[in-house]
Amino acid sequence: MSEFLPKPIVLQLFQQLRGKGFKLGVNEYLAALDAIDGGFGASDLANLRQMLCMLWCHSPEEQRRFAMIFMGIFQKPQPIEQFKSNDSFVEQAEINSPSTNLDPLLPTQHLAETLPEKSPELEFSALPCQSPLQLVDGEELPELYTYHPLSRRSMSYAWRFLSRAVASGVPDVLNVSATVEKAARQGFFLAPVYQRRRMNQAKVMILVDRGGSMTPLHRFTRDFVETALLPGVFPEDSVLVGYFHNFPTDYLYGDERLTVPIKTVDLLAECDAETSVLIVSDAGAARGFRRMERIRKTTDFLVKLKRQSSLICWLNPMPIERWQSSSAEVIAYLVQMEQMNADGLGNAIDVVRGQVVDGGGQRAA
Amino acid sequence: MSNTKRYTFTGDSSNHPPDNHPDSPGEAEPYLADLELIEAVNLAIYLRRPLLLEGEAGCGKTRLASAVAYELGLPLYRWNIRSDTKALEGQYTYDAILRLYDAQTRQFDINSTRDPSDVQAYCKLGAIGKSFELSDRPAVVLIDEIDKADLDFPNDLLTVLDRPWSFSIPETNRTIQATLGNEPIVIVTSNKEKGNLPAPFLRRCVYHFVKFPDDPEKLQEIVEQHYRDRDAKAQPKASLVKEASKRFLEARKAKSWVKTPGTSEFLDWVEALQNFTAKPYLLEKLKSEELLPYRDLLFKLRVDWQQSGKKA
Repeated sequence: MSEFLPKPIVLQLFQQLRGKGFKLGVNEYLAALDAIDGGFGASDLANLRQMLCMLWCHSPEEQRRFAMIFMGIFQKPQPIEQFKSNDSFVEQAEINSPSTNLDPLLPTQHLAETLPEKSPELEFSALPCQSPLQLVDGEELPELYTYHPLSRRSMSYAWRFLSRAVASGVPDVLNVSATVEKAARQGFFLAPVYQRRRMNQAKVMILVDRGGSMTPLHRFTRDFVETALLPGVFPEDSVLVGYFHNFPTDYLYGDERLTVPIKTVDLLAECDAETSVLIVSDAGAARGFRRMERIRKTTDFLVKLKRQSSLICWLNPMPIERWQSSSAEVIAYLVQMEQMNADGLGNAIDVVRGQVVDGGGQRAA
Repeated sequence: MSNTKRYTFTGDSSNHPPDNHPDSPGEAEPYLADLELIEAVNLAIYLRRPLLLEGEAGCGKTRLASAVAYELGLPLYRWNIRSDTKALEGQYTYDAILRLYDAQTRQFDINSTRDPSDVQAYCKLGAIGKSFELSDRPAVVLIDEIDKADLDFPNDLLTVLDRPWSFSIPETNRTIQATLGNEPIVIVTSNKEKGNLPAPFLRRCVYHFVKFPDDPEKLQEIVEQHYRDRDAKAQPKASLVKEASKRFLEARKAKSWVKTPGTSEFLDWVEALQNFTAKPYLLEKLKSEELLPYRDLLFKLRVDWQQSGKKA
């Protein structure tokens, strides 16, 4: 190894990483070449890896995947001892995971150890009312990295398109151009022209299937509901959430764990013709059964729902190929069904938005 | 880039040049940067890509910018992001109301130094704007806690923080462009409180995850750095720091905290141990006591605080 030529390695790695789903563009490739010209990562393989890792990876999780892919490529041509000697990255990556996420079981272990001894106040100690938000992506192993249809971020974005701006309340926004126009037409200025403030009046009902075949997808459904409930997304009290198991019956539930029953008729009563309804369920596509009971009960519910609102869309987290010959195929005939990925969610939002006629500037008093 | 000066960060504040910029931090920032972080800073400086720092709260993400600016003698422009910050504010703000007010009250207020006919007086440059204006050296721009901002904020920044490094101000009909080789060194911090940053933004950044120094020796070194410029009396003894680091790391690992104390809490705590009372905290007492003293400095959530009060 008289001369270390990093550039061909960079190209090979770049292609590999792109194939593995790293979000890199030509600019990032050029930046890497640029950096090598500047003397970064030009001395040896470990040095190069460190540089590329900083430039191309954007989370500890990505860094870990990068290290693995890098090892996969370079283990053969390099003698292993030498490679190991200047390689501290993989070990570091393991230490790296913050100790906060040690083990969810840990606090209970502590409780169990301390309880028999003393301190009865343990029982009354407050529990955290909300666990801190830890984004899952940082702690996941690549082996578990299988199904990732929608990010939290794209959900937040999608909700934004569902806003329905309606001028409402007292007219308190000065319309300058209308004021000038009126004054010009009259020949004198009498009073300013006000218009009403436009506010988001969207109403959303989200019905989520919980448990059973939906269990592996709880993370997505939870994110889906949480992003809709974030402050500022929709006006207060305009998001209705109901949970059910497999199919909606006479009762829905107000909480994720299906412990607080709500009468379905009560929830439907709050739904009007302008309410956008999104149903999240695999409709039997996860297990691939076609069961008459499921189809019948779902049809019953959909008929009732359609009396209230026609802005309904069904989001199916299973890929469209899996719908065939399951209950989902039949239900998809009854109601617009979209796959729960970025495109599908976009379509669904369009569906539940309906054809909104925007009044535009004609709302001046 | 051959004709411009190449800046290299070494993590040693004694390299501070004599001709530092007036906006450069006046005091040395005690900061202990590991080699990987130094490399990341230099890569970001060389490529002029934003350096994105993530990591636990209180791990010194924000402090790095001061350390870099001090060592290189460059001005530091800090931009703190709030939930309602707009990307434009980093470039400039134009105060139309003040101008209108000045125009109306001009005849009454002869002492006013602002002239409403001069539009420039009402246009104030933000952190990025100021850094673009410098023509003799680059500036360090710290965009602090970018994750606090609105969803679109990072994407709005992208177009400015890239070639051709310019933006225009329609109000004054002016275009501000950074001179070649003096593009700002941008340091962005985030602790992922609200979610991930958008992919196009991430792609532009050089990324570094700031780890908590899980090693008592490293902690001691940090304390030494921190107290280097203080007088001898205020400096804690090595034995006290050693014991404090040990107990602190033990406490960090012992329970699962909702908010784990970081480096900044540790430094506050050492300061309290050393200088809060007339005499430093007794080493034997620190060793033997079951509960940590001054735990109010370490645990800032009720749950954590209560948990820290329980004997193991």
